[in-house]
Amino acid sequence: MILLLILLLPIVASLCAALLPSNARNAEAWLCGGLALACTILVALQYPHVADGAVLHARVDWVPDLGLSLHLRMDGFAWMFALLISGIGTLVVVYARYYMSPADPVPRFFAFLMAFMAAMLGVVLSGNLIQLIVFWELTSFTSFMLIAYWYHLEVARRGALMALAITAVGGLALLAGVLMIGHIAGSYELDEVLAAADRIRAHRWYPALTVLVLLGAFTKSAQFPFHVWLPHAMSAPTPVSAYLHSATMVKAGVFLLARFWPVLSGTELWFWLVCGAGLTTLLVGASVALFQRDIKGVLAYSTISHLGLITLLLGMNSPLALVAAVFHMMNHATFKASLFMAAGVVDHETGTRDLRRLGGLARVMPITAALATVAAAAMAGVPLLNGFLSKEMFFAESIFAGQTALVRTMLPVVATLAGVFSVAYSARLVHRTFFGALSTQLTRQPHEPTRGMLLPGALLVLACLLVGMLPATTIGPFLATASRAILGAELPEYSLKIWHGFTAPLAMSFVALVGGIALYLLLYRRRDGALGNSPMARLDGKRSFNIVMVAMMRLAERLLRWTHSRRLQPQLLVIVAGILGLGLWIATRNPIATGTSWHTPLHPAFALLWLVGAACSIGAAAHAKYRRLAALIMTGGTGIVVVLTFAWFSAPDLALTQLSVEVVTLVLLLLGLRWMPRVSSAAPPARAALAKLRRGRDLALSVACGIGAAALAWVVMVRPRGTGIAPFFLENALPLGGGHNVVNVILVDFRGFDTLGEITVVGIVAITVYKLLRRFRPAPESMAPPRAQQAGQLATPDTAPDLAQLLPHGTMRVPAVLGRLLMPVAAVIAVFFLLRGHDAPGGGFVGGLVMATAFVVQYMVGGTQWVESRMRIHPQYWISAGLLAAGGAGVAAWLWGREFLTSLEADLHLPLLGTLHLSSTLLFDIGVFLLVVGSATLILVAIAHQSLRTHRRHDEEAETEAALQDGRAGGTR
Amino acid sequence: MEIILALAIGTLTSCGVWLLLRPRTFQVIIGLALLSYAVNLFIFSTGRLRIDRPPVAGENPVDVMQLADPVPQSLVLTAIVIGFATTALLLVVMLAARGMTGTDHVDGQERDE
Amino acid sequence: MNAFLHHLPIVPIAVPMGAAAIMLLFPEDRRGARLSIAIGASLIQLIVAFAMLVLTTDAVTSFWPEGIGVYAIGSWGAPFGIVLVVDRLTALMLALNAVLGLAVVVHSTARWDRIGVHYQPLLQFLMLGLNGAFLTGDLFNLFVFFEILLAASYGLLLHGGGKTRVKMALHFVVVNLVGAFAFLIGVAMLYSVLGTLNMADIAARWDTLPVADRGLAGTGAAVLAIAFLIKAGSWPLNFWLPNTYSIAAAPVAAAFANATKVGIYAILRLNSLVDTNGASFGEGWLFGLAVSTMLFGIVGMLAARQLSRLIAFTVVLSSGTLLGAAGMGSPSMVAPALFYLVGSVMASGAFFMLAGMTERMRTATAQAPDEDPGQASYDAFAMGVPPVPRSADEEVGIAIPAAMAFLGLAFVCCALLVTGLPPLSGFVAKFALVAAAIKAPDISATPAWQAWTLVTLVLVGGLAGLIALARAGMRLFWSVTDRNTPRLSVLESAPLAFLILVCLLLTAGARPAMRYFEDAARDLAQPRAYIHAVLGEPPVQAPR
Repeated sequence: MILLLILLLPIVASLCAALLPSNARNAEAWLCGGLALACTILVALQYPHVADGAVLHARVDWVPDLGLSLHLRMDGFAWMFALLISGIGTLVVVYARYYMSPADPVPRFFAFLMAFMAAMLGVVLSGNLIQLIVFWELTSFTSFMLIAYWYHLEVARRGALMALAITAVGGLALLAGVLMIGHIAGSYELDEVLAAADRIRAHRWYPALTVLVLLGAFTKSAQFPFHVWLPHAMSAPTPVSAYLHSATMVKAGVFLLARFWPVLSGTELWFWLVCGAGLTTLLVGASVALFQRDIKGVLAYSTISHLGLITLLLGMNSPLALVAAVFHMMNHATFKASLFMAAGVVDHETGTRDLRRLGGLARVMPITAALATVAAAAMAGVPLLNGFLSKEMFFAESIFAGQTALVRTMLPVVATLAGVFSVAYSARLVHRTFFGALSTQLTRQPHEPTRGMLLPGALLVLACLLVGMLPATTIGPFLATASRAILGAELPEYSLKIWHGFTAPLAMSFVALVGGIALYLLLYRRRDGALGNSPMARLDGKRSFNIVMVAMMRLAERLLRWTHSRRLQPQLLVIVAGILGLGLWIATRNPIATGTSWHTPLHPAFALLWLVGAACSIGAAAHAKYRRLAALIMTGGTGIVVVLTFAWFSAPDLALTQLSVEVVTLVLLLLGLRWMPRVSSAAPPARAALAKLRRGRDLALSVACGIGAAALAWVVMVRPRGTGIAPFFLENALPLGGGHNVVNVILVDFRGFDTLGEITVVGIVAITVYKLLRRFRPAPESMAPPRAQQAGQLATPDTAPDLAQLLPHGTMRVPAVLGRLLMPVAAVIAVFFLLRGHDAPGGGFVGGLVMATAFVVQYMVGGTQWVESRMRIHPQYWISAGLLAAGGAGVAAWLWGREFLTSLEADLHLPLLGTLHLSSTLLFDIGVFLLVVGSATLILVAIAHQSLRTHRRHDEEAETEAALQDGRAGGTR
Repeated sequence: MEIILALAIGTLTSCGVWLLLRPRTFQVIIGLALLSYAVNLFIFSTGRLRIDRPPVAGENPVDVMQLADPVPQSLVLTAIVIGFATTALLLVVMLAARGMTGTDHVDGQERDE
Repeated sequence: MNAFLHHLPIVPIAVPMGAAAIMLLFPEDRRGARLSIAIGASLIQLIVAFAMLVLTTDAVTSFWPEGIGVYAIGSWGAPFGIVLVVDRLTALMLALNAVLGLAVVVHSTARWDRIGVHYQPLLQFLMLGLNGAFLTGDLFNLFVFFEILLAASYGLLLHGGGKTRVKMALHFVVVNLVGAFAFLIGVAMLYSVLGTLNMADIAARWDTLPVADRGLAGTGAAVLAIAFLIKAGSWPLNFWLPNTYSIAAAPVAAAFANATKVGIYAILRLNSLVDTNGASFGEGWLFGLAVSTMLFGIVGMLAARQLSRLIAFTVVLSSGTLLGAAGMGSPSMVAPALFYLVGSVMASGAFFMLAGMTERMRTATAQAPDEDPGQASYDAFAMGVPPVPRSADEEVGIAIPAAMAFLGLAFVCCALLVTGLPPLSGFVAKFALVAAAIKAPDISATPAWQAWTLVTLVLVGGLAGLIALARAGMRLFWSVTDRNTPRLSVLESAPLAFLILVCLLLTAGARPAMRYFEDAARDLAQPRAYIHAVLGEPPVQAPR
């Protein structure tokens, strides 16, 4: 399809340009220029197809379920814009070839320029609104990259960000609006939306969606008060300003207004919003332009005011005004682009764009001067130029548009006033730059630039002249086609003639011309130096934008300080409160049945037991801060009570496991205590009151949690025991699981998968502990040997132990003997537990812990170095072997075609030994055993090793921080 | 008996939560230990209480509803093991933090409590 | 072949476990061996995951009835034994996890796996935990896998050591321990009421639950939800998230990008199962939390002064968005939410990698995260400072070296993906989500205000993200003062490109992808099939 080709050509150009070497200016220019030209020709060739109001379609489905598809649609209006985009694009490429300095990295420039061209074509050729938004955002993005092309300039960065932020707001608003439209129209296809116009205008969402769409259009087309970004976008290279920020991109907004004109216009709301914005922009832009010092500044503000003019026309709800608007879109594109090119030439030749430093350039660069003058005249609306015609139409409309008397009187006046301004700033621009005495304060010697730089501007000026003199023949049919595409079949009466006789519009033009010249002369008499800092000139939104931005950040930071904390206590407070609160909330809003099934009679001994337990836990809570050891012991006491409780309520396995875990945990914590700092005395008195308050709050919360937990447990326990999955296990443990101890059968068979995961956790934790501690040095002040050792009451085994001798010397001799004797016993007990697990309380885990404890005892009594000189334990391998064994027991089932972890049994008949009963669950349990031994030992040993670390904390930390910084591989040592 | 166990769970929870909200790492770790007791007991209690009826399947069939519920027991076993592992890890991280920051405050720097 | 396919569901669990165990057998300096094992394991997981994707499509319903595969561990069928269930959602999450995992494994080989021991095994363990959590059909088993992935993430978080990491790891561990307690309490309560642990069985029994027991069961579900919400990073339970993700080693943070989604997955799953009788699992409050989470993410993004922290907040925002989609309780929201989930996970994963690579662009003077005074963030808007007087010779651009070009391009892609701007998959996802939200009030009981709140927040979130990221990017790439072009190795760049490429494919192939998500959403909306597939299994048979 031709349309797809039109869209693809610039994309191809962009990609190729990106890949060329950074100094290939000519190659870049030829490539992009050529493709752009081809694109232009293609577009032009399409005219016959759209001339008679027909519409070209090209469709590629993307996600039809969502109503997304690539749908290109070209009618007369789109054609006109496509031609503008591709044509001016071609000229700008040629211009840029000579404008950019050889040192500039042109690939980036041309790549983004072509990408923009593609995006812009996509916008105007979109037949699907979502697709239109996609390209819309792409234009914003490419514009961002192009404004910031010279990103080493602070102004460029700032301008780019400003443009991006403001247009992005509009883009999202537009998206929201389009979503509403699509929801009402039932489709995002442009044709269907146009068909659904009445429904949309009648819908109750109409005001909201209109505002949203307008927001999108106004931000893009720099309507007041969103115009602020455009002047700052002028820090882009001049070709970009000529292309994006005068001819094409800023037109996207008014393009959108014209596109939606049949759908949204015709209402009071539309009239007031659009005309209001347009009028304000027209005046503000024109008046501010008068006071700019920078040529591009003048042009930027005049662009704003002209966009305002177009918007105003679009808001008038009259077909004729629409025609005028379309006409002015074309005219403005031509003369403003050429003016920007002239400005670029001046800048390029003289090195400045400051009107106060320029002057009299007509002497040295007459061609440029001539071109600029004609273009400026067109901008001012001088007869025989295209600007004059559309401005005439505008004046005419301003007379007839208004409904109310106020508007009728006001509009023409304001329109004339704006005309006056635009004449004035055009005159000032040309006169200040090219006429008068040749400026003396130029850094370099200006002269006429190369033809390549003049040609594009010249062509555009030629267009201005042709259209201005023979409108009916040159532009007439195209304008008709474009307007018909929007308005439908019947066009309003209008005649493109230079001379309509003595009419009101003519009078207004005359007034504007004379008044403008007069105004300029008036200002000229006052020195221009004063102009720069007149209030109007400072009316640029940079400060306000920055203030908004910084205020936003500050606000965000403050909010974050309220809603977020890097501290642990608040988090825990919130979480605990959350659990309690949500639980209560749900619980209180639903019925909760409290059964009354008392299974077990009260037993005083048990009550006594728990009196002790409660006392222990409360004591631990009270002393944990200042008397750590006491707290630790009391915690252990609580643990013992828990163990007894398990035993009491017929859970021997739990009792056994909890007991062994208690022991190991206690040992761990004891080892850990060694490295805790001296207890710091009470909190600073200053905040004592606050601290009390906080403690009160915590206390209340914890008590509440306690009550909640107790109530919950009570409710749960007295409910009648329902029939769940439990009976199945009790009945089938022996017949199917082949074990008497149901709990163990569940652990290794029915739910063996849980156990596999659980030991994995243990293994992971073990290697994590190793990972952490091998890089870690204890705190310096706790490196000193314990007080007891310092006092000489104990021999210090750490200092140079004599590894040769059979037993460690000193006070540890006797325990060492016992410990040595303990070793085989412990091993036997461990294996015993492991083997009997399936039928009686026990199992691999308990066995493993017993074994590990035995190892640790060796360390404790023998001292680390001494033990390791005797036996090498490689806990890591134990862990790995354990995992492999347990997992292997699972995978083995595959060989018999059964699911993972299916327990297999086999009776092996051996000579002498008789039959040997083998079960894969045993292998599994052995795996558990190995892993637990390995992990527990690894953890304890890793902690024990701390006592051997010589004190190299600081350089170590510096090293880790460095590793943190630049990830340099300093790890394995 | 149920009432006692319920009260016990409540007490353990209170002490645990209280310690959890304290600023010293050691307090936090003790608090977590107490909390894990409470949670384990709670899980255990969801199987209701039975005395002298361990879930051990004998040869002669009995009324299974009279035996203790084995499922919560196995869950508690898993929970105990995982709790043990994470407690160990927490301890070590605590030591490391203390060694690097030089304080045993949970935030690594002293604050007025 | 068929026999192998029969065992397919267990492979994503068995393979990483075996790989990790074998890697532990090799000493640390045998990097080559460990690496090949790790990459091999990840590749297998990727292949298996995609096989599952294929098997769960309507194309091959012959193998798994209704595209739901059930695998009874130890031949003990539900509800007694533990079953693995593969439906579309699960397969989707597995594939996502495998893709991200492979990328992270390869990315780490550049240098990250050398700044500490046992890195690759821990990574495999993390993937094991994630895979298991997605696969299992048993509530308590889900807890076990949660613990596995948490334990692994503790180890990974500590990778590289350093004061800040240890401090944050302490918080992370404590918070997650509390979360684990909540999980256990919730499971225990559900068991005490329903007497079962299998999710499908829970759903089945939930229907026939006497009104008197609703309270207890509902409370249990709520407490359970807290555990999931902590993991999913819902405000106010997510203070740990930005603190942790922003200081973890880059590939670790990338791997974590998926870990938060486990919480989302669990909520979606339980919401679907326990929702069956209308008594919603998370009634109004879930949406409330989601809104606050999104606001929190937006605020955080605007306030963040460091790229990795900023990305962490985008993760928060995406979690909030997903929770919001789930909280609206409209089935039409789920499919777009899934699309969004996939995209955001990959994007944030890639973004974290990128952040790690750009770290090296800073000069050595750059400080650790929280010591950053943050004045730098204001320089873009130095107020009252007159712009530098421009002179023509200054207007000469800077030629970007290839590495910088790559990083810049990747940054742009990630930014577009995360903020959901056109033309990448982020936009498709957000558009689908917003469009569905607008439609939701018409086709379901969702109140209109919820829909519009979500729409507004999604759009505003995109805007805030754009502004914050543009600021960060300009600071990162366009500050001419301190920047040295980093030397990038192929090994660390390729995964980044790979992830972005996948996102591009997702954009191009949005149509089939969306179809799949629609089906997954339908399954969630009507869990009958799931329940039947799990419980309809032939009951337990003797192992011999």
